[in-house]
Amino acid sequence: MDLKELKNKIKKTNLIKTTSETHKGNAFGIAMRMGTEFVAAVFVASFIGFYLDKWLDTKPILMLIFFFIGAATGILNVVRTSKMINKE
Amino acid sequence: MAANPMQQFKVKTIGPKIELGSFDISFTNSSLFMVLVVLSIVSFFIIATQNKSLIPNKLQLVAEMIYEFVAKMINETAGQDARPYFPFILSLFLFVLFSNMIGMIPYSFTITSHIVVTFALAIVIFFGVTVIGFLKHGIKYLELFVPKGVPKLLLPLIIVIEIISYLSRPISLSVRLFANMMAGHTMLKVFGGFVVSLGLVGGWLPLGFSVALTGLEILVAFLQAYVFAILTCIYLNDALHLHH
Repeated sequence: MDLKELKNKIKKTNLIKTTSETHKGNAFGIAMRMGTEFVAAVFVASFIGFYLDKWLDTKPILMLIFFFIGAATGILNVVRTSKMINKE
Repeated sequence: MAANPMQQFKVKTIGPKIELGSFDISFTNSSLFMVLVVLSIVSFFIIATQNKSLIPNKLQLVAEMIYEFVAKMINETAGQDARPYFPFILSLFLFVLFSNMIGMIPYSFTITSHIVVTFALAIVIFFGVTVIGFLKHGIKYLELFVPKGVPKLLLPLIIVIEIISYLSRPISLSVRLFANMMAGHTMLKVFGGFVVSLGLVGGWLPLGFSVALTGLEILVAFLQAYVFAILTCIYLNDALHLHH
């Protein structure tokens, strides 16, 4: 029996399938990813807003604006992450 | 006597106090455990690959499984182009995994439960990936912030959002690992404290919880190392293949 035949034979058995399916088994890990994804964006954006305010002397306007932009970014991040997970 | 559940995270100096300029660079229990983690990884792989055979013994099998696990992860998320970065991602995964696991041993110290450590790892990844992206695509790498098919009117807002999204990567990467480890270890300690304070009468329920939580924590320790490594691969993928 040559190697090609052996390869086909291995493909027919479920050996290869089982290894790739272990990937899906960590819904728990996915759940943990979402929360920080959202919070980190809000945090970073507010931080940028705070320092822009300090620099441009426009307290608290920019920080407020950036807070909401951060929230939007957080939602975008969560949507993107879940899209990526669905693709897997 | 219930000990303070946050006591376990205290960084203590071991040996003499060393100062470099205004920085305190003394050897601490955190550094001690970092050294222990690296030593245990190295010695594990040296012992496991001592007598390589075609039919592996149990230790060699574990080493091969770890290697293949990471190799497959990189291949699936970042493709063939990411092969040169395999050593980095393998070391990163092993470092996080071993420090999480060694932290599960009672009376030891969990180095990943400090945000400085995880943030240092994340910021290195962040800058590394950014440099790789710019080296690979030049100034075109900035196209990452301009998604296709967006109306011109919305473009300024979208660019700001994309940049914030990019900058939030190291924060979410480091906070996730640190928060999971710290929360888990604090919870274990709190339930452990309940066992002591409730004594022989009521201590059995929290003891059971403690046992269950230990199992969960071992799962979390592995999962967080995995998530840390796979997100690094995903960021690397974004830098190598410019498409959103």
